[in-house]
Amino acid sequence: MTTAAATKAGRPEPSQRRRRSKLTLRNTLLGWSFILPNFLGFATLTLVPVVTLFYMSMTNWNVFGTATWVGFANFERLIGDGSFRISFWNTIYYAALHIPLTIVASLGLALLLNNKLRGVAFFRTAAFLPYITSIVAIAVVWNLLFSPDYGPINQILRAVGMANPPGWLTSSDWAMPAVVIVSTWRDMGYYMILFLAGLQTVPRELYEAARVDGAGAWQRFRNVTIPCLRPTMFFVTVMLTINSFKIFDLILVMTDGGPGQSTSVISQFIYRKGFEENQFGYASSAAVVLFFLCIGVTIFQFIWNKRRNV
Amino acid sequence: MKRKFAAATAVAVMASLTLAGCSGEAEPAVTTEEGPVTLTLSGWSLATTPEFQVLADAFHEKNPDVTVELKEYDSAEYNTLVTADLAAGVGPDIITQKEVKFVTTFQEGGQLLDVSDVELPDGVGGASSYEIDDKAYGVPYRQDRWVLFYNKALFDTAGVDYPDGSWTWDDYADAAAAISESGTAKGAYQHRWQSTVQGFASAQEGTDVLSGEFGYFADYYDRVLDMQDAGAQIDFNTSSANQLTYQGEFGMQKAAMLPMGTWYTATLIAQQAAGEADTFEWGIAPIPQADAKTTGTDNTPLTFGDPTGLSINAGIDEGKVEAAKEFLAFAASLEAAELLAEIGITPAVADETVTEAYFAVEGAPTDDLSKFAWSTGEVAPENPTSNKTATIQNILLDMHTAILSGSTPVEQAIKDAEARFENEVQVD
Repeated sequence: MTTAAATKAGRPEPSQRRRRSKLTLRNTLLGWSFILPNFLGFATLTLVPVVTLFYMSMTNWNVFGTATWVGFANFERLIGDGSFRISFWNTIYYAALHIPLTIVASLGLALLLNNKLRGVAFFRTAAFLPYITSIVAIAVVWNLLFSPDYGPINQILRAVGMANPPGWLTSSDWAMPAVVIVSTWRDMGYYMILFLAGLQTVPRELYEAARVDGAGAWQRFRNVTIPCLRPTMFFVTVMLTINSFKIFDLILVMTDGGPGQSTSVISQFIYRKGFEENQFGYASSAAVVLFFLCIGVTIFQFIWNKRRNV
Repeated sequence: MKRKFAAATAVAVMASLTLAGCSGEAEPAVTTEEGPVTLTLSGWSLATTPEFQVLADAFHEKNPDVTVELKEYDSAEYNTLVTADLAAGVGPDIITQKEVKFVTTFQEGGQLLDVSDVELPDGVGGASSYEIDDKAYGVPYRQDRWVLFYNKALFDTAGVDYPDGSWTWDDYADAAAAISESGTAKGAYQHRWQSTVQGFASAQEGTDVLSGEFGYFADYYDRVLDMQDAGAQIDFNTSSANQLTYQGEFGMQKAAMLPMGTWYTATLIAQQAAGEADTFEWGIAPIPQADAKTTGTDNTPLTFGDPTGLSINAGIDEGKVEAAKEFLAFAASLEAAELLAEIGITPAVADETVTEAYFAVEGAPTDDLSKFAWSTGEVAPENPTSNKTATIQNILLDMHTAILSGSTPVEQAIKDAEARFENEVQVD
């Protein structure tokens, strides 16, 4: 009716326009009132610090007084900083080991625990427990297990005939794989839950049809399960990648970056430069690099996923 | 009407965002105090660290007009929290400097008042740690030094002579080997901290970490590795895998000797009294020396230790400055030293009375060598006052773990650390 009148007149009447703009304003205000409480928290706790971080990365600042603007000098220094390079490659090394291992372990667990067996709830809970256990407790217990001389892991390895088992956390070659083992063990329960949720969405009929066509278990997994899990797999990979690049707490408690610099990662580099050495500007520039590293890899994953969808 | 409301909302949002961005910058104006003055003093773990209350009470007794209120911070995050408060303009009037390496950070940030005019007693240790460009930005009231704790019972069982103040590191290694071989316990326990090797090397080789040349650490590391290989002490890897504590290793008689700071005296006495440590007779000896030139009770042994001191917040109200300076002078005085000694704290200055007060505590050793080791020595700072110290100490920590875990040979690890010094410290 209103539309018809408006069309007839060519332009809406002033009173109608007022009413419509009032309506728009009311809707906008209503929308804002929903977003604002959350946005205020986001702005104060995330947006402002992040924007400040970008500014800080271009300054020399020791927390007090004014920050001196130095432009890209911090980034130039990072390129020439051997410790940063080591931390950077250690982070990549950690992610390259941790991401595939966790996917395989958590997917395997999910497939095992996706069956309707008696007591399956217990095993699901047991697999999830490490994820909600305190990192410090995990680190202390695994340090004991990895103990080169008295730890049960090396005792078992010796019992099965390995004469010189690795020193694990005490060897610069083995420390990172040891950390990866622990973090995979810790994380797999969480990603298992995600995969379990994904598996619930796979239509039963597809399996039945495949079975009728004579597909074996491996073929069903390859041609039905994996394609149906694509969205879950994508989400898991993205989350796992970001979390792997940001690894900090476990390494801090287990090895503190040692022995030497063999497990030092970018987050720890940032922590040391900022909170231990009070070079907040320089630490911020390393944080910016980590930020772009995470965002770069994530964008790449999104593009790759989109192409595969097409 | 609604538009007005929208505009008002927008203004309110902007204001709250702006306020959020600048929170902490504005400090409420403090009116000049007249008459009674209240000073705030930062401290940590007040329930188990009575030194702050003792100083505050004693000072108030002498100066009834001045009250010192304690402001407690978490012990583990002390420096971070104090830094945050100072940056926000709500720091305490008097800042306890828990770690010397933060002095330059505070001073460069303009947070500390020049206190060069505060008079210190003769022979006070660690004052130089608070001096920057010939000005003092703090005064020491406490200075622990590193000594050698030994278990007399384990020495007797093994049939090895007690340390007598004449020991070099070779004598120490020989005694440790002899005790371990006798099967009574490990000869020594050396904790995982880098101080336990590097602190002694710097103090006894007459150099410091700011030099950037770390070759002088080599002999000290070689000796430790030899002792580990010989089984004279628990190796670094076992200690870290099992998270061993020095209190547990020495207090439960698993090791006969322990190089440690004098703060452990009070802990050991308390733990023996509470049954948390075995009851046995123990003593304190000067830390073994690099060579015979500084050994013996007629000499001055070289050791290390960082002082704990007090600084004044540069943002303090002018009316309180005099009272704050008086408090600093009192805390560093012999009078306060005696009070601190009575509660098991090693003050920065000591005379005979202070030493007697310290060793009068029940459970403390009574022999002369213990008193000598506690009160005599040239104490070099482990962390020289410089804005480069924190970075260097992190480089040296990596070197320490690389060497003692056995993953990098001593020479190589030292070369790596020197290269990092060139690359990471010499950048400014």
